Amino acid sequence: MIRSFAAVLTAFAAFTALAVGTAHAHHSFAAEFDGNKPVQLTGKVTGMKWANPHAWIYIDVEDADGNVVNWALETRGANGLIRRGWRKEDLPEGTVLKVDGWAARNGSPTASIDSVTFSDGTTLFAGSSNPAARQN
Amino acid sequence: MFFRALIVLLLVAGAASAQTLPRTADGKPNLQGIWQVQNRAAYDLEDHVARHDMPAGQGVVVGGKIPYQPWALEQKLANFAARASADPLANCYLPGVPRIMTLDYPFHIFQTPEHVAITFEWSQVHRLIYTNGEPPLYAGIESWMGDSRGRWEGDVLVVEVTDQNDRTWFDAAGNFHSAALRLTERYSLSDADTIDYEVTFDDPNVFTRPWAIRMQLHRQKSMDRILEYQCQAEAEEASGDFEREARTWYPAPLPADNVPFDAAAGVELPALTTPADIPRHADGTPDLTGYYMADGGGANYGLEAEDREILTPSSRGVVIDPIDGRLPYQAWARAERIERELPHRGYDDPTAHCFVAGIPRSHYVPAPFQILQPPGYVVVLHERMSWRQIPLDGRAHLPDHMRLWQGDSVGRWDGDTLVVETTNLNGKAWLNEVGDVASHAQTVVETFTPVGADELIYRATVSDPIAYTRPWTIEIPVHRRTDELLEVACHEDNADLQHLKDVRDEYRASQNQEN
Repeated sequence: MIRSFAAVLTAFAAFTALAVGTAHAHHSFAAEFDGNKPVQLTGKVTGMKWANPHAWIYIDVEDADGNVVNWALETRGANGLIRRGWRKEDLPEGTVLKVDGWAARNGSPTASIDSVTFSDGTTLFAGSSNPAARQN
Repeated sequence: MFFRALIVLLLVAGAASAQTLPRTADGKPNLQGIWQVQNRAAYDLEDHVARHDMPAGQGVVVGGKIPYQPWALEQKLANFAARASADPLANCYLPGVPRIMTLDYPFHIFQTPEHVAITFEWSQVHRLIYTNGEPPLYAGIESWMGDSRGRWEGDVLVVEVTDQNDRTWFDAAGNFHSAALRLTERYSLSDADTIDYEVTFDDPNVFTRPWAIRMQLHRQKSMDRILEYQCQAEAEEASGDFEREARTWYPAPLPADNVPFDAAAGVELPALTTPADIPRHADGTPDLTGYYMADGGGANYGLEAEDREILTPSSRGVVIDPIDGRLPYQAWARAERIERELPHRGYDDPTAHCFVAGIPRSHYVPAPFQILQPPGYVVVLHERMSWRQIPLDGRAHLPDHMRLWQGDSVGRWDGDTLVVETTNLNGKAWLNEVGDVASHAQTVVETFTPVGADELIYRATVSDPIAYTRPWTIEIPVHRRTDELLEVACHEDNADLQHLKDVRDEYRASQNQEN
């Protein structure tokens, strides 16, 4: 049973409050991602990997030519999400997200994301280590 | 008549042995100590003949055979055929229960009225078994090692293990289970040095009925501490994926152009006061038991204060000696520290590989830890799957040539402050993600001082003549919270390392072209 979308938003908001004080990085974000490569992506959720030290959200992004690329979006760890009440059912496939983040240096469709925007326009923090993002 | 006399004799003998079992202050059988199996269950729980990769062994399954459903027996045989690569332990993944209990590595059981903790030499895995009657805080969250809740039934410790994921095997022969598995472990002392260990397996998805294994755990009387086997770190060092750092790893020499180390330098640190009314044990020592999270202030991104604009968080600065907050680096080590923050060096941070964090970093990585105070020890279980067991008996450190990632820690109480001295570090750890430097010459004196009912002040004074010109000290508040540890199966889920390696390899290729 999927919880209500409002519950997801509430959980995201609660996680935002937590994340400001608690990063869960285990590796250098600046080494893996490029601060000169900001990306903004819009796509449909195809899955989520509930992993530690980092959880991943996967979205299908369609470009102007109709080509679909599956992007891997790195967030903080699953344990932080679990402690704020998130469960696996809370981000159903097909949810449309707009995300802001930084692309990986190695050129793969991978990004560290600092915010998630739902289709109703609500902007929420998702977990990049970018301190500027954490001020949002 | 004869049989009645025999029964009386047996009862008397049984009562005598029950009376001579070691017991804790609260009257429970005392399981605390170092234990290990002496059988071949790690290779195959069932009877098996020798193969090129496993010695022969008699099985430990009650009744001889595991009652697989037909499809599951086929899967088990396929697992066996593919075991060289498919065995989770071939990839150093967490072994799960009960496999971790059967490995050819010792483990230490610690016992308090509220918890039984087991620390394993194998990759610093730990189990925290709650015997305080609390239900799981995170029921339904699967993990490799599962959730363990224990209770005493007379003199038997009974532990229910649930919420293990379906990725572990029971042994190297491919015996397996689904995520529906429920285990019941029973630990009973048959004498002071032997635990009868029985496990019942209940998994209706895979087996036709519940089944059990029985074996003995033997006290390791010749060991006074367990050491380390860091499975993945050893594998990556052997393959070349984790490269030696000649200037910091044991036994790197003191650099010839180093400034002489001024061991006496340092300011007097501000005094800390412990209130009388903090939680205390019956003997008056502070009760530190609980779940803690450090307010690290970005220490994992720099021990010195630093404002950053992007990707790496700022650090507020936790160095209290020297008073200017700057680490007293040797010139070569400061240059190394600056280079380590460059993208092509991110791969070299051991925690990016999911190796253990070392001391003092284990206490300010952004992850919680649990403190227990079993008799004679302070034990710390870090959520990022490593442990510290700190004896309070004033023992000597390990011989100098015995070098460990987490070092060798010995503690004592100084009034209400726990003082821990750590030596024998191997110099492989970084002090944080931006690469503050430590070498094998590092010794650490940590203090844990309660300054309130649920707040400790953590200080660590580091003396490292290879990397620094004088000792320095950091200070970090640590808060006790009502929560339970989860599991960080870091290496199992580490998708970042290849990215970091790509960045390093691209840099190296560009350097080669320039040369």
